[in-house]
Amino acid sequence: MEILAKIAFIFYCLITCMGSIMAVTSRSLVRALVGLIAVMIAVAGMYLLLAAPFIAFMQILIYVGGVSVLIFFAIMLSRASAEGDETGPVSLRKAVNAFACLLAPAVILSLIIIHHPEAARDAPINVSPALLGEGMLGHYLLPFELISVVLFAAMAGAVLAAWRKRGRK
Amino acid sequence: MTDLMLFQLVGVFLFCVGVFGLVWRKTLVGMLIALELMINGAGLSIVAAAQLTEGDAVTGQLAALFVMGLAAAEATLMLAIILVVVKRFKSGQTDRISQMRG
Repeated sequence: MEILAKIAFIFYCLITCMGSIMAVTSRSLVRALVGLIAVMIAVAGMYLLLAAPFIAFMQILIYVGGVSVLIFFAIMLSRASAEGDETGPVSLRKAVNAFACLLAPAVILSLIIIHHPEAARDAPINVSPALLGEGMLGHYLLPFELISVVLFAAMAGAVLAAWRKRGRK
Repeated sequence: MTDLMLFQLVGVFLFCVGVFGLVWRKTLVGMLIALELMINGAGLSIVAAAQLTEGDAVTGQLAALFVMGLAAAEATLMLAIILVVVKRFKSGQTDRISQMRG
């Protein structure tokens, strides 16, 4: 990597670390959401470093623009108090479980990544959006259509689940 | 350390912090936020593998796009489920909603 790319990578790494820790440990859910948005933007920057600008754009559009708004609605509609339900001590058993869940995959996956390096390119290749579109409408047409069905089913299911039935309480 | 390794390690970090949050959090919304962290880590790992190995880059980027679409669908459904649960149990805390009745 060039020196500027290295600086950018370290910068995005710092944002990712701080944002993810904030998203997981913050008492207030709104602050956790802000941390999550910082992580999403940093990951979009890493996509740019990987020479995938279309994916970075989609990351901003879908995650920062869509999913985070959905999560904000979930925060807004699910609780009345400003402090939230995350206050209060965490039981010891839960803490032990959580750290075990943190450490086990971290150690195993990191060891696998470090000890079995793949043959990597030096520089990422640049794929134009036209090629992506051709792949989407050519070889991968069926998954592309199926995901629209999945999205429709999810939206319809969400409306159906959250529907307030008349007559019943 | 190659570039691929660095990006994969960041992806693993995001995934593991997400798993930690999924266990640590006490509310459904907090668990949803942790889940999104995990999905972001997976997406980063997929795109890094697509761009920096000899595999097909188009396939990898499309896989990342599909992951994003599925994440959007999942977030919608989670919002609806959280709304229903909060309406029914008057609380979003996971300790209080462990009862089921057929």
